[in-house]
Amino acid sequence: MIPGSHKSLCWRTQFLCAALLGAGLLGAGGASGRNDDAVRLDQLPQQWRDDRGTPLALTALLGQRVVIAMAYTRCRTICPATIAELKRMQRTLDERGEAASFVIVGFDPDSDDPASWRQYRINHQLDRSNWHFLTGSRQETRQFAHQLGFDFWTYDTHVMHEPRLVVFDAQGRWRGAVNPSSGNWPALL
Amino acid sequence: MRRFSINRLTSRLGAALLLGLLIGTVPARALCAERAATLEELQQKLDQSLKAIQELTERVRELEARQSGAAAGAAPAAGESSAPSAPEPTRLEAVEQQLEQLETANASRANDETGMPLHGFADVGVGTHNPINPDLEGFFVGNLDFYLTPRLSDRGRALFEMNTEVGAEGAVGVDLERAQIGYQLADQATLWLGRFHSPYGYVNTALHHGAWVNNSLRRPGFLQFEDSGGIVPAHTVGLWITGAPRVGSGKVQYDAYVGNSQQIIDGVLDMRNAGNAHGNLIVGGRLGYLFNAGAVEGLTLGVHAFNARIGDNAVPANMTRVFSYGGYAVYDTEQWENIAEVYLFDDEDLSGTSGTHHSHAGFVQLGYHASWGVPYARYELTSLDQADNYFAAQTSGFSYHRSALGLRFDLSADAAVKLELADTQLTDRSRIQYTQGLMQYAIRF
Repeated sequence: MIPGSHKSLCWRTQFLCAALLGAGLLGAGGASGRNDDAVRLDQLPQQWRDDRGTPLALTALLGQRVVIAMAYTRCRTICPATIAELKRMQRTLDERGEAASFVIVGFDPDSDDPASWRQYRINHQLDRSNWHFLTGSRQETRQFAHQLGFDFWTYDTHVMHEPRLVVFDAQGRWRGAVNPSSGNWPALL
Repeated sequence: MRRFSINRLTSRLGAALLLGLLIGTVPARALCAERAATLEELQQKLDQSLKAIQELTERVRELEARQSGAAAGAAPAAGESSAPSAPEPTRLEAVEQQLEQLETANASRANDETGMPLHGFADVGVGTHNPINPDLEGFFVGNLDFYLTPRLSDRGRALFEMNTEVGAEGAVGVDLERAQIGYQLADQATLWLGRFHSPYGYVNTALHHGAWVNNSLRRPGFLQFEDSGGIVPAHTVGLWITGAPRVGSGKVQYDAYVGNSQQIIDGVLDMRNAGNAHGNLIVGGRLGYLFNAGAVEGLTLGVHAFNARIGDNAVPANMTRVFSYGGYAVYDTEQWENIAEVYLFDDEDLSGTSGTHHSHAGFVQLGYHASWGVPYARYELTSLDQADNYFAAQTSGFSYHRSALGLRFDLSADAAVKLELADTQLTDRSRIQYTQGLMQYAIRF
């Protein structure tokens, strides 16, 4: 009986250890907050056109940080504030001697075509080559927004949205998301 | 002793397991962690399956080696690859590839195309006494406005705006303010059919029923919606084509529409939602240019006009050919929201002998986007010929001028408080002059 008990005990112990390990891994996954935020850059829609109408895939930006925001050209409050924070972020990175790509994806491809974004860049003096203003199809724009947590809806020519920006590291891994007006983005860099 | 220590170990392991499970069930975001947890589980199971496959493969090799009488040393060691096991790395690679595809598909599946998004606006407020608008006196419930845009095909469009509002007598009414279904013919040409906001001026198509969208607390009086005292047909039931093609650095904005000619029922404009038995039509259009570059970036200049045969339900009934034309200017930038609109009326009495009547109406509004809010100032003026049946038949068809000062303050991205102080002087039907204070709390959702 004793040898049999010992064998069954070993199995039970091994099972408990495996279950403990599995539970711990599950717990670690939950505590790390892994959710839709764990999406990688290469898992996002890739068919975009920049403000010159040139096709641009997000994976072409791998190799340095990618900071992403969404906007529309007729926005008068939230988007200008977000752009102002992105400019501050650019200045901070310049002081550190670090590089990043800044990507602004248009909410409303029907109204904001590449030429609209081209003019927007000129009007707002956003001419650095590491800044990209992208236009996609309606479906890809919605998918992109949904994957990154940019909730929005359109009310005729208005786009209802919240301030948000997302940061990916140089390998395209999710670093985090923040309300830019909170000023808490330094932790993501 | 040994049994006791073993039992103790087992119980400790069980407690640790419970703790691990508890830790594992407290994610920052329950719904998203659940999905990530599912993915983790799948990955673990896959790893275990791969390990089992490998062990079984080794076991089969050993058995085959024994059967063929080969030396035990000729059997490949665990993990060592050889010619017969060539398919294994390929199988492993295939499984890894499938896992990566699963991850990508899972991430892509986040685009939920099912269901119909429901959004809207609501507002409540309080106002001081005024002799004209009893629905703006004391505390009042404004509008609950639902906005639905079902996702149709790539070129299909649909828009429905249902507004619940409280009338002057306290009755709650539901109005299908807009119900339009459209098709995008080309990049800059969309055709709509249904009930839409008549395209004239700027305010009537830029600022709809959602009070939150409007920086000012309310529309100019004469441009209010029909059941709120407006004297110009804010809604049309008909056909509308619109677009804004790029020309130069700006855009040409065009609209053309035709629909059921409105009528005046019991002093209020009615847009004939249920059809047109009389064959009278309203035909109109608007043409503007948005400057998108240079010193006048953000400036829009345009003209508008409409022609309609509008009758009323007076006894005997009157019929008027209403011809309205005018222009608008908007300077909309990150600092300013300045709007000016003018309407001229050349109306012909078709049922009597009073001939043609000339009237005019307009407003100017200046608004500034400060860091703390949007202060605005507005002046409105109407001079309406009371011999014109079109205005005489309307309860709100009186002449007036109004000066208003207001402020919009955003409590959050979704809620705003607005204040307005207005002085109104009626100038024909009566000479009432009154000052009115209003506060509005408006949200979007």
